[in-house]
Amino acid sequence: MTGPFLLLQLSLKRARMLLLATGLLLAAFQMLLVVIAGSIQGEFEQLASLLPDAVRSLLGPSLASVMSFGGIVCLGYFHPGIVSGLLALTIALATLPASEVETGFADLILARPLARHWIITRTIVLVLLAVSLMLAVMMAGTWSGLVMFASPKAPWPSLRIVGSLALNLGLLLLCWGGIATAFGAACRRGVAGATTGLLALAAFLLDYAGRLWPPAEKFAWLSPFRYFVPFDLVMGSPLPVENLVVLWAVAMTGFVVAYLVFSQRDISH
Amino acid sequence: MSSTDAQQPISICGLTKRYGPLTALNNLNLDVGHGEVLGFLGLNGAGKTTTIRLLLDLLRPTSGKVFIFGHDCWAESLAARARIGYLPGELGLYPDLTGLEVLDFLAGLNRQPVDKRHRQQLCDRLELPPPDLRRRLREYSTGMKRKLGLVQAFQADPPLLILDEPTEGLDPLMQESIYELLADVKRRGRTVFMSSHVLSEVERVCDRIALLRQGELVLLSGVQESRRLAPRRVRVIFTEDVSADAQLPPGHERVEATPRQWRLNVAGPLGPLLGVLAGLPVKDLEVQEGRLEDVVLKYYREGKP
Repeated sequence: MTGPFLLLQLSLKRARMLLLATGLLLAAFQMLLVVIAGSIQGEFEQLASLLPDAVRSLLGPSLASVMSFGGIVCLGYFHPGIVSGLLALTIALATLPASEVETGFADLILARPLARHWIITRTIVLVLLAVSLMLAVMMAGTWSGLVMFASPKAPWPSLRIVGSLALNLGLLLLCWGGIATAFGAACRRGVAGATTGLLALAAFLLDYAGRLWPPAEKFAWLSPFRYFVPFDLVMGSPLPVENLVVLWAVAMTGFVVAYLVFSQRDISH
Repeated sequence: MSSTDAQQPISICGLTKRYGPLTALNNLNLDVGHGEVLGFLGLNGAGKTTTIRLLLDLLRPTSGKVFIFGHDCWAESLAARARIGYLPGELGLYPDLTGLEVLDFLAGLNRQPVDKRHRQQLCDRLELPPPDLRRRLREYSTGMKRKLGLVQAFQADPPLLILDEPTEGLDPLMQESIYELLADVKRRGRTVFMSSHVLSEVERVCDRIALLRQGELVLLSGVQESRRLAPRRVRVIFTEDVSADAQLPPGHERVEATPRQWRLNVAGPLGPLLGVLAGLPVKDLEVQEGRLEDVVLKYYREGKP
């Protein structure tokens, strides 16, 4: 067990600055959102009226919930910029095996009595730890922001809502982590990263189109983003278990494919 | 020595690797014995690195089998790899790690703990002092990286060393240290499988050579025997002018002929030449032994001596 543990330790050590910097930025952003929500207290309806029609129709009945103190505080969990950043981080970590093969580091590791599957297992643990850490830091940022900057009279979002948003976002990231790990086990890192990134973009656009354009709705179930429902959660709806199952299943499929592909492939750079 | 270690260090049977229509290695059969240093030669793309990567289970063969101390390289890959110290041709090391971190990390992946005193001796021998080991790899020169690569390969004192061009990028003094190190591990019964382009190095440290050409083994022979395949270089100096028309026996090639001097390449025994020279005014005769380089280059060019 020492070898795999050392491998994980080394990967965490090398990723620590990236994780630390991303975590601090996310926590700061969550706190900033609390400050912003506090500063526009009472003017949410006016703010909602300024939104473009496309966004208003996308938000639908959840508009009022999103354009509220609680909605703004929770914005970080579904803001496209934050989600894209977290996806990029997840993809970068999940494609680590491809990078190790390309640089020749895998030659040195696998010339030792270390089974190939530990490289994939390490990657999965790394992705899980990174995603959990980022979400924990975001939640800590939200809570700290509320304690430090929000009025006790303000309608704080419940822990259930914040937790559901974090869980749904976490599984979305894990889902793309699984897909990226599968590509990272088979291709070069650049190809794996770009392919996963483009797939994520296409899936996001498909989901977006499905919400606004009825003909696209038929195919929208194919997009993992369809199972990420932050607006419903902000409105107070419970997190559908089937959504979590779908995202979990995609992630697991990706990881299994990664194990199979990596165990069979030639390690050559 | 355990029962598995009593088995042949390397036994390769009918090993073939194809990439689509390209055959990188074709039906390689090769055994390497205990305490042997085998030089694995061939031009770029001949299949040397492919063979090494197959031995390490980094590549999967199209057909054939490889056994390391009796362990199937693929079915019992971990047991096989536990007995190998490997120096790759290109070291894929993270530049943000220190030399010591790399050595500790790779030592931790071995099944047996690394003897720190042995490692220290290696570092001393290869002139990698502790201050250098505490530096990050981005500050290392090519030679220092190579030395670190050698230490990581030798540090667990494995029974089999697989070295891909071990002296590449090293200065002559350090090359000398590596030759001594190889002689030392050989004395202690370790087996070395090394690829090299430096024929003088192979001639000096290897017991046998295996030569690959376009994925096929074209020569497997002891270094001394291989050298005998090369023609001897003979210079004959005459006291008076002689004609260059004299008939030479088969296997004799006249490279240069002036009235007072001949330069010849002689394959085979020298007796017939002495018969020809008996009637000529010979002042002096110089004979140079055949060089491994001549044999190897001929194989590289033509696939036969």
